[in-house]
Amino acid sequence: MENLENIKNRAEKELVSAQNSEEIKKVFRKYLGKDGEITRILRSLKDIQEQKRKAVGKSANQIKQELEQKIEIKKKAISAVIEKGKSKKQMDISRPGHKISIGHIHPITKVKKEVEDIFERLGFSVVEGPEVETEWYNFDALNIPANHPARDMWDTFWLRQNESKVQNPKSKINTKSQRLLLRTHTSPVQVRYMEKHNPPLRIIVPGRTFRYEATDASHEINFYQAEGLMVDKEISAANLKAIMEKFFEMFFKQNVGIRLRPSFFPFTEPSFEVDVQCVVCKGKGCSVCSKRGWLEMAGAGMVHPQVFKSAGLNPREWQGFAFGMGLDRLAMMKYKIDDIRLLYKGDLRFLEQF
Amino acid sequence: MLFSYDWLQSFFKDKLPAPKKLAELLTLRSFEVEEVKRAGKDWALDINVTPDRGTDCLSHFGISRECSAFTKLKIKSPKSKVKENNKDNIKDFIQVEIKNNNDCPRYMGRIISGVKIGVSPKRIRERLRTCGLEPINNVVDAANYVMLELGQPLHAFDLGKISGKKIVVRRAKAGESIDALDDKKYKLDKKNLVIADSKKILAIAGIKGGKSAAIDENTKDIFIESANFEPVMVRLSSQGLKLKTDASVRFEHGADPNFAETALDSLAVLIEEVAGGKIIEGKIDIYPKKLLPKKLKLDLEKIESILGIKIGQKEVIRILNFLGLETKADLTVAVPTWRPDLAGNEDFAEETGRIYGYEKLKSVYPRLALIPAKKNDDILWEEKIKDFLKEAGFSETYGYSFISKRAGDAMEGKLVELENPFSEQFYYLRPNLLLNLYENAQYNSRNLNPEKMIKIFEIGNVFNKRKEGIMEKKMLSAIMAGENEESFYVLKGVVDSLFEKAGISDYYFDDYQATPEDGESNLWEAGERAEIKIGDREVGFLGKLNFPVFNKDRQTREVYALNIDFDALVRECNDESEYEPISKFPAAVRDVALLVPGETRVGEVLDVINAGESRHIRDVDLFDLYEGPELPEGKKNLAFHIIFQAKDRTLTGREIDSMMAKIIQQLEDNSGWEVRKTN
Repeated sequence: MENLENIKNRAEKELVSAQNSEEIKKVFRKYLGKDGEITRILRSLKDIQEQKRKAVGKSANQIKQELEQKIEIKKKAISAVIEKGKSKKQMDISRPGHKISIGHIHPITKVKKEVEDIFERLGFSVVEGPEVETEWYNFDALNIPANHPARDMWDTFWLRQNESKVQNPKSKINTKSQRLLLRTHTSPVQVRYMEKHNPPLRIIVPGRTFRYEATDASHEINFYQAEGLMVDKEISAANLKAIMEKFFEMFFKQNVGIRLRPSFFPFTEPSFEVDVQCVVCKGKGCSVCSKRGWLEMAGAGMVHPQVFKSAGLNPREWQGFAFGMGLDRLAMMKYKIDDIRLLYKGDLRFLEQF
Repeated sequence: MLFSYDWLQSFFKDKLPAPKKLAELLTLRSFEVEEVKRAGKDWALDINVTPDRGTDCLSHFGISRECSAFTKLKIKSPKSKVKENNKDNIKDFIQVEIKNNNDCPRYMGRIISGVKIGVSPKRIRERLRTCGLEPINNVVDAANYVMLELGQPLHAFDLGKISGKKIVVRRAKAGESIDALDDKKYKLDKKNLVIADSKKILAIAGIKGGKSAAIDENTKDIFIESANFEPVMVRLSSQGLKLKTDASVRFEHGADPNFAETALDSLAVLIEEVAGGKIIEGKIDIYPKKLLPKKLKLDLEKIESILGIKIGQKEVIRILNFLGLETKADLTVAVPTWRPDLAGNEDFAEETGRIYGYEKLKSVYPRLALIPAKKNDDILWEEKIKDFLKEAGFSETYGYSFISKRAGDAMEGKLVELENPFSEQFYYLRPNLLLNLYENAQYNSRNLNPEKMIKIFEIGNVFNKRKEGIMEKKMLSAIMAGENEESFYVLKGVVDSLFEKAGISDYYFDDYQATPEDGESNLWEAGERAEIKIGDREVGFLGKLNFPVFNKDRQTREVYALNIDFDALVRECNDESEYEPISKFPAAVRDVALLVPGETRVGEVLDVINAGESRHIRDVDLFDLYEGPELPEGKKNLAFHIIFQAKDRTLTGREIDSMMAKIIQQLEDNSGWEVRKTN
């Protein structure tokens, strides 16, 4: 008698080459019909030796079942091909689906998260600081003395107060009775963090900041910054350039050229503007970059020795860089938003696009 | 500040790069050039001189020195040679007294006699205009011209109008005032330093001249002043008077007293050239404490380590020399008095780096110990909770950190006030997020389809004034505005799911009790508000706001809100959970329906059900709540699914029946509760 395995293989081969239901029936009859090959084997079991009967019976039954299943699947496949040709009442797939009410996340949250993620991957910890700040942390500690024209770089909201202190549950430092203000940048967190943590350190500080200035399409009285700080024994401007380049490459998801050019911030020395080659025109000059080919994306520099001193660190032991960028500007670049005020208006027709 | 290209060129024998090219170089090496535009035959460059360079670079000479450093072109000396007329001596005409040398570290002056006031030559007028100044007359123009050229503010007085041959530099007295050259009268006090004669005030020192000794068409003899005033004094004086001038800006940044002489001589020579007259022999010079150059030691290693690039000693020294710094063989650097910003090797690193060219810096990854970033739970939970609310149909908004005066004045609590509020609309710091969210809902409901349920939320910091000081905390607030009778319970369900997601289980809703210091009790409608508590701590509120919004069709829509202390919430969040084995034994569901008085709370009934047989009750679900005419007056019908399940065996029908019987009995022990049906 032919080996069961061979019969199975033969049957499957024939089934595969079957083109229509007639041919499938033929295969069925040949193997599983009343006089089919497998049926015959099953029927003849009684004539087989007792020891062999069990084994043969089991595998014959198994093959029978498998073959039945395969025939069934093949039948369906063939009939589906036939159905396709026929016309049948079709569901109106153009009808709108049921709306699931899902809300929307604000574009700045999205960009903030992206910035945090990128820097976390580069080993930076995310840290926050208070929005109401003392004059000391916002200015003096950052080497911006009172009555110096450099202060004019930050138009400040001052709080009216009667000798009161800031109560911030997140800060254990009992600040001296100092004039209070709304922080004009996230840089105070540099000093706050270094007071409590010894280098080496790498932090990124996102947060809301404030400026007392006339509002227009690119200026708001409150906006968001992300501040970065890396301090170790031998951190250089060349390292800063590498980190900035990597960040913008990851953020814009393309290779971007960056350049550093001289600038002035009292809390960094040297100080830089970080320009990114315009991601729209690739540096050729367009309306987005005001024909310059470059976009001013961040301010940066090497931490000024005075800032280390303010935080109680020895500037001879440590070197580091800091940078700050506007999250609103990144969001506006990313989503092509042309007016910063849209971000704070809360108009659902705007927010529901994100 | 605007600069003339021709003027910059005038300091060089060799040709400077073309205007646009020069602007690009300046941007990459010194200061950002905002704009380059044609000005007749000349070009105007709008250069953003940074505040640290106000001493030397608010002048054409200063910018030319920058150009010289990066173009390697030799710059001409700005010094002029004065030919004095020795028939007379200045001492015979004027004496100067300085009351306080701290206010005025140096005071210089010269006299030119016999000038003829008229129009300036074309070259001067054009250059002034290119730099944004209007020509006045040849003497005043000359003073402005030399200021733009050298950075030292200068002033010319009509000598004939100075009484008593004497100039006094003193603080103003309360009640004094001056009629200034800008046709305004300024009231002065002891904050203002003035230039006076024996009778009257001639000028506000370092800020503005007065009319009393102004140059006019009849002026013959003039006294020219080149002085140095203390920067902070000038800044406070100028701020107090709200008067900012080309002179005050330069003095605020700290002018170089050692440069006063060069400027004085240049002005004298220029006036002689454009207005005639003779420079009288001698000059006033009161300079008791001469400012000397600082000596610093150059540390090449430090410079290269800051920049992360090898430049080499020779190149570093070449650059510093071009910038006017003298270096000695032992690497001592003499920092000239016009560079007060240079105080250490970090500063030398900047000077060297920028002139050498930052584009030559290669990107180099830092070599660091592999320290993983710390997880910030606050931020992680903030993101998770925002995502949850989004999934629950709420859209995130960012509001202003300020509220209007009108809204603030209606609040009970103590608000944080600003010394300089931005406007009536942005007047106080926000004491909560609800006010702005409400405004927002109102704004949106006017624009949107009236059917639409507005669901918005914000997480942000709010500010309240407390006895201990200003309290800043992070809040989570959400608002639902629209037509839905069940809004309260929808929001309550949002809280349930949110807390479940955040791993908080020991929370409950409690009756509202006003917290007077929040001043928020008048926001909530009585009878439709609840406190949210975790443990025994109140973390927030839930309820109906006291004020509805109007939609497009002018119909009112109730507003429900949620207000949670986010910092308190995050402290309770927990994503550690333990797997609880799924019972292998089947659960059985029984229902119970009961009639209770209308004021009975669902919570009370649930407490009773759970009290008795809680060991085997896995869950109790309210599936129906009905109040209606078919029911006895003042009653409502509640129906619950009770799910029984044991961990260790299959509960028998008899066991469940007996548990149900106990529950029913306990329910009916309450007066007015009537179990209607069970199955």
